[in-house]
Amino acid sequence: MKSKLLLTLIIGAASAAAVAGPIEDQIRFRQSAYSFVGWNCAKIKNQVIDHPETYNKDQVVAAASAIAATANSGLGGLFGAGTDKGTGWKTTRLKSEFFQQPDDAKNAGVAFITEANALAKVAETGKIDDIKAQFGKLGEACKGCHDKFRTKE
Amino acid sequence: MTVKVKVWDLPLRLFHWALVLAVGFAVVTGEIGGSWADWHGRFGLIVLGLLFFRLIWGFIGSNHARFASFVPTPARIAAYLQGGWEGIGHNPLGALAVLALLGLAGLQVGTGLFANDDIAFQGPLAGLVDKPVSDKLTGLHATAFYVLAALIGLHVAAIVFYVRVKKHNLVKPMLTGTKQVPRELAVPATGHSLGRFAVAAIAAGVLVWTITDGLPDRLTKALDVQASVAGPAW
Ligand code: HEC
Ligand code: HEM
Ligand code: HEM
Repeated sequence: MKSKLLLTLIIGAASAAAVAGPIEDQIRFRQSAYSFVGWNCAKIKNQVIDHPETYNKDQVVAAASAIAATANSGLGGLFGAGTDKGTGWKTTRLKSEFFQQPDDAKNAGVAFITEANALAKVAETGKIDDIKAQFGKLGEACKGCHDKFRTKE
Repeated sequence: MTVKVKVWDLPLRLFHWALVLAVGFAVVTGEIGGSWADWHGRFGLIVLGLLFFRLIWGFIGSNHARFASFVPTPARIAAYLQGGWEGIGHNPLGALAVLALLGLAGLQVGTGLFANDDIAFQGPLAGLVDKPVSDKLTGLHATAFYVLAALIGLHVAAIVFYVRVKKHNLVKPMLTGTKQVPRELAVPATGHSLGRFAVAAIAAGVLVWTITDGLPDRLTKALDVQASVAGPAW
């Protein structure tokens, strides 16, 4: 009985230790940031591409601004050395190539910022074809980084 | 004494070259992503339809197109390797490659149906499974592609080998349908008809439609952010 309690405490402490600390924090915020971006992308895709009859300019502007704001929030700060190994909400999928090819990594990060800002601008115009085209470019920026720096499941 | 004989029926030839085109476009659009992701899905679904068609045609198509006529049993392969195989359809070793190509293309499409790109695109069945499962199948989709690509490379290399080294042109029959063969082997393609083609094509179309549009929303919309469980408007 006692040993079971002890075991529970040890396991509890160990798993708590696994999610605390600066590395794990960065991974967790990183995963949250990209998930949030993904949610906003899905809203835009839904209204602009899949169901244009539901297009609502204010909602698309809101989603595009949220993406741009996240892109401009200094996401690079969540890619500290050593964050290619560890567990946030789940085991990180960042490849160590990210740190071995800092120039490419920077380009991937900057491309996201550029395309996200352009999308926020274009969303304000309400021109659905332009939004669609720019949304495609943003998607290529996401994919560019994922193909290069995110492990396959 | 050789004679000209019909070996590949027209539906089979259309299937083959449509498959080459659709797979080609699926690969290119899959690598680009972005606005092309939706096109990737469409070309992938064309491949799916073609595979359904081929599966059905393997039972109701002409004799040389039927699986039963070319399933590579160990005995057939052994006979072929000892030079004792005679026929005008797929030879037993080629048949092995054919079945592997069809199977792997099936795996590629099958995993694609459940895949997602974490950006703004997912297969029509991604909502049927949990996100981690969809992610795993996405990984498999990416890995399976290397195997499929290698096999296609082997397929084309083997055909080049036949043309160049064995002086045996397999491509022309796949284009024109006819082959020049010794009289005693000349078993012409029979058993296909417009009606059978229509049955196979319509059945394949209905299957693809069922997968993409025919399933109840409550099954397939689990990942949809605009689903009916949406919260208040603020
Ligand atoms: C600079 C590289 C980079 C860019 C640009 C990028 N991502 Fe990612 N993304 C990542 C990495 C790395 C991960 C894995 C994070 C981890 O596990 O630590 C990730 C993970 C994700 C996830 C899964 C989050 C989770 O943990 O469940 C989503 C969704 C996502 N990204 C969407 C996007 C979208 C949408 C865009 C473009 C609008 C985008 N990403 C742009 C690198 C990037
Ligand atoms: C024979 C047909 C197909 C081929 C050859 C093919 C090939 C590919 C390739 C090469 C990629 C890029 C993989 C990578 O990121 O490295 C890809 C990605 C993808 N494919 Fe397919 N595919 C096919 C069919 C399908 C189908 C039918 C669907 C769903 C409708 C689909 C959904 C996806 C998705 C969601 C991705 C993105 C995965 C990611 O970004 O990691 N595919 N496919
Ligand atoms: C330009 C490239 C290609 C050429 C020149 C080519 C040529 C051929 C030829 C000549 C045959 C007949 C083989 C025989 O006589 O036994 C054949 C069969 C076949 N090829 Fe290709 N091929 C090509 C690309 C592909 C691709 C990309 C695929 C798809 C993944 C494919 C799938 C098949 C299949 C499944 C068969 C069997 C036909 C059947 O019975 O259904 N081929 N090909």
